[in-house]
Amino acid sequence: MVATSHDVMPDIELYQPTDEATALALADTLGADGWLLGGGQDTYGWLKDRNKTPAAMIELTQVDAWKGIKETADGIEIGAVTTITEIATNPLIQSKYALLSTAAGRVASPQIRNVGTLGGNLVQDTRCWYYRRGLDCYRAGGNICYADSPEGLNREHALFGASRCVAVSPSDTAPALVALDATMVVSRVGGQRLITAQDFFVGPARDILHMTVLNEGEILTAVRIPNTWANAEFYFEKVADRNVWDFALVNVAAAFKVSGGTIEDSRIVCGAVECTPRRLNAVEDAIRGQQRSEQLAEDVASIASAGARPLNYNHFKVPLMENLVKRAIRG
Amino acid sequence: MGEGIVRYKYDVWGEEVILGVSWDLLWVVAVAVLILLAAHAIIMAVLANKKMDKPSSEGRRVLRHETIDRLFHWIMAGSILLLILTGVAPIIGLRIAWLNWHWIAGLVLTFVVIFHIVRSLFWQDFKSMILGPRDFGEPFDSAKKPGKYSFEQKGMHWAVTVVVLAVIVTGLLMFIQIDTPFWNRTNSMPESQLGLVFLLHGLSTLALVALAATHIYFALRPEKLFYTRSMISGWISEDEMTANHDTSRWSPKEAD
Repeated sequence: MVATSHDVMPDIELYQPTDEATALALADTLGADGWLLGGGQDTYGWLKDRNKTPAAMIELTQVDAWKGIKETADGIEIGAVTTITEIATNPLIQSKYALLSTAAGRVASPQIRNVGTLGGNLVQDTRCWYYRRGLDCYRAGGNICYADSPEGLNREHALFGASRCVAVSPSDTAPALVALDATMVVSRVGGQRLITAQDFFVGPARDILHMTVLNEGEILTAVRIPNTWANAEFYFEKVADRNVWDFALVNVAAAFKVSGGTIEDSRIVCGAVECTPRRLNAVEDAIRGQQRSEQLAEDVASIASAGARPLNYNHFKVPLMENLVKRAIRG
Repeated sequence: MGEGIVRYKYDVWGEEVILGVSWDLLWVVAVAVLILLAAHAIIMAVLANKKMDKPSSEGRRVLRHETIDRLFHWIMAGSILLLILTGVAPIIGLRIAWLNWHWIAGLVLTFVVIFHIVRSLFWQDFKSMILGPRDFGEPFDSAKKPGKYSFEQKGMHWAVTVVVLAVIVTGLLMFIQIDTPFWNRTNSMPESQLGLVFLLHGLSTLALVALAATHIYFALRPEKLFYTRSMISGWISEDEMTANHDTSRWSPKEAD
């Protein structure tokens, strides 16, 4: 049924665990009926529009073990319910992983960053307006992609990796974490699994109903960033219709190890062009061992968009993506 | 979204639109087939003592399936099993990139079925597979022996024919809607028609699951194993032929 927005929240059983064991047990017991709640910035829209109707919500922000930023032997670990503002303003992250603090600082608006969490920003659902409106598209269990129909409005949709669904990843922190070779810590009753940031996100070819590998009963509890890219040269840029409180049309997160002007290694990742953050391996290979320069950026930019399949209204994303990659490389 | 045998929804204009078959039926079919086959296995075990001697596989061998037909059978079997596995995977929550495997297996199935239709019409004894009035009396009269194919085998063949043709036709209509190396997706079929295609594809898939399970079960039954062997090696023994077939209605050539 198509959405009707309500001013009040529907009746939902609310659980507010304060320790890990209880939260994991609740997630395990409630399964698909237990909606995991971080800062609620993705959640509340769904609930008010009555397009998702979970029976229960498990609020995770009172679990202290999943909050905060700490230095570890191999880098840093960020609790999944740490707010985006804390990440954007944390001195340790700003000094060693400025890529992430910059990306976090570009998320939505100050108010949203104050309550929104890193975990929520990473596992948030796509913003495809047909899907969010409550239409029964492929991602909602139906048989059609409205955004990719002949009349579909799709200026914010995918250039790559569309498999029936053309929705994109809306996160700003996700490309930064992929670029930093981060690892996601996913917990469940009786255990934990570690997943690279790149493998954490899934496209529609593999699972059209979900955007991450999280299974029922699992909670993203922390993100670990290794020292591999600490203090590297970083670049993050996000282009959106508004400078504040908007999702990216395209964003780029890049990290470079440069010695004597030569790029020894790099990570370049674009967001909002595919259902998952898109790592540009071909560009990374092309610039490895090259002098970082305007000319190099000019020469390889087109590689970034190779294989793009624009939809009716998002052709502009191709030059936008190329230009962002160009700006990242020239520094 | 409504549930029952059919999943449906109301579109933006409030019209009822079919989404497809209810996948709860997959479990119903799985359990029903399991119960029926288990019941058959138990009854056959109880009756086993009263059974006559098993025919010998030794001695003169006659040709039951030519190499090309056996090859067709196993390619078709492989593609159907892959289609079922890849089609069911997302329904039961397995997160694999199933779609490309699914349509590739579907194309293989389509080509071998076309090959089989042409071959059966012009190069095989098509009449041996036709179900006639005599065949329907066969299960009730032990004195009546079949020609090359028994009533059950013909029944299975024609049931599989109808169901496979249904999955192929509906599958091809769905295939047009997605990206392939041969064309770009158009995504232009009206939702109501698409829903009907999904429903028919789902229903025929459920039937195919039931038929495949039944076929595999009977292929593994001890008294039918010689047929399975013949689908691998091509031959059955003369003793097996005379015990199970009317040689006046089927006189195969000797196997190499």
